[in-house]
Amino acid sequence: MSSRRRVVLVAMALLAAAVCAADAWAIERFPPPDFYSGHQLPELDQRPLRLPPWMDRVHVAALATGLALSTWFSLRLRSRTAIRWLAVASLVYFGFYLGGCVCPIGSIQNVTLALADADYTLPVSVVFIFALPVVFALLFGRVFCSGVCPLGAIQDLVLIRPLRVPLWLQSVLGLVPFVYLGAAILMAATDSFFIVCRWDPFVGFFRLDGNLPVMILGGVLLIVSTFVGRPYCRFLCPYGALLGLCSRVAWKHVTITPDECVNCRLCEDACPFGAIRPATTEEDA
Amino acid sequence: MSDDRTANPALTRRGFLGGIARGLLGVGVAGVGVAAAGRVRAKDDLWQIDPFKCIQCGNCRTACVLEDSAVKCVHDFAMCGYCDLCTGFFHPEPNRLETGAENQLCPAGAIIRRFVEEPYFEYHIDELLCTGCGICVKGCTDYGNGSLYLQVRQDRCLNCNQCAIAAQCPSDAFMRVPADRPYVVKHLGRQKEGG
Ligand code: SF4
Ligand code: SF4
Ligand code: SF4
Ligand code: SF4
Ligand code: SF4
Repeated sequence: MSSRRRVVLVAMALLAAAVCAADAWAIERFPPPDFYSGHQLPELDQRPLRLPPWMDRVHVAALATGLALSTWFSLRLRSRTAIRWLAVASLVYFGFYLGGCVCPIGSIQNVTLALADADYTLPVSVVFIFALPVVFALLFGRVFCSGVCPLGAIQDLVLIRPLRVPLWLQSVLGLVPFVYLGAAILMAATDSFFIVCRWDPFVGFFRLDGNLPVMILGGVLLIVSTFVGRPYCRFLCPYGALLGLCSRVAWKHVTITPDECVNCRLCEDACPFGAIRPATTEEDA
Repeated sequence: MSDDRTANPALTRRGFLGGIARGLLGVGVAGVGVAAAGRVRAKDDLWQIDPFKCIQCGNCRTACVLEDSAVKCVHDFAMCGYCDLCTGFFHPEPNRLETGAENQLCPAGAIIRRFVEEPYFEYHIDELLCTGCGICVKGCTDYGNGSLYLQVRQDRCLNCNQCAIAAQCPSDAFMRVPADRPYVVKHLGRQKEGG
């Protein structure tokens, strides 16, 4: 016993020097023994994945279904209640069950990195997760934001009494998402640092676990969400900025029904997100 | 909706400009889509640690978004030397080669020392106790065969879009691996994919 130990210590001293000098990891310092009792070496314990690998296809299908339903609810049924229930379902599935990732917001960075870095490739699911909401926004407006995004849903659910944000302030703050989008693209392209994911304010709530600064940010945003409609979506979300651009030129839109509008202008006050502006004629615009 | 507006030329002009903008944005988005589609791989991917790069800095214990890190120590028994003085298990200068806490390296007491046959013992990790601190890994890598190493446990990992530990790993040891090969089996050698 003790002689073996001495040998081990000498070997240790020799090899400690070698560690600094060379890539010594591959060296077998101590040859594995032959067991006379016939002991079998255990296998490396490889635990299965938390979600099976084919689940990414289910997520994409769920996203497509959610977008289709959201379109139907907003453009055909024109039902806020239906949208709300859809949002709750999305919150449960994409938020609490999936734990947030990968989401369309974060996927901006994956796509950027894939285009910028030759070594990085995208899983097919991420391409769909990035592109589906954009395609729907070009066709039907931001139906992703209204009924499918779990980050939007959690803010909607806590909204109690929306205040009106002054128009000028809304326009100024509305620029922040574009700056954030630019920064996210730059950082993903150069550094592979995913700032949007690092500072995703709500993913910690979905997982009921998260690091403190981000949880604090999320908590503050949720408190603000009780009296300002969807602050993250309107004044931060980079994907919202992208979808907003697409939605401006969308093929079909949620509209105020022109035949029924009596121009009472109550809706301008009622919209919790300040999306309805006073009507202008072409000359004013 | 557009048909009841055709009488108004201003709105038609607006619709026309909108059409152009829509077309341009559509082309742009399609371009990004096609370019992205060219950079696709069939398999979904997962985060994993390259044990050949890991320097056991300790961030794996603290930086995971999970309070109890998804990274744990694993043991590739095929590499283990069944060393008399297991430098993964024991302090460098143990009082005695016994399982007494004062002799053990692991601060969590997560390594189970099992007698196999004279003079060999086998070291198993109790994952419920292991914090992924990497202290035992350092001992085994520096003075043993390096059969203990850190791995992202895929049954625990939430597969964050960007792993919070990866962002803080000083040795760039985090990589993405295909979902059908979720672990690095160290004795089979350096894993090529990832990055
Ligand atoms: S961390 Fe947040 S923003 Fe990033 S992919 Fe996950 S859910 Fe989306
Ligand atoms: S952060 Fe990197 S170097 Fe540090 S223990 Fe984890 S894998 Fe190893
Ligand atoms: S130091 Fe490493 S190789 Fe040696 S017995 Fe311990 S675990 Fe096995
Ligand atoms: S020393 Fe650290 S990494 Fe090793 S078993 Fe103990 S807790 Fe886990
Ligand atoms: S991907 Fe997320 S859960 Fe997994 S190890 Fe990294 S930080 Fe932890």
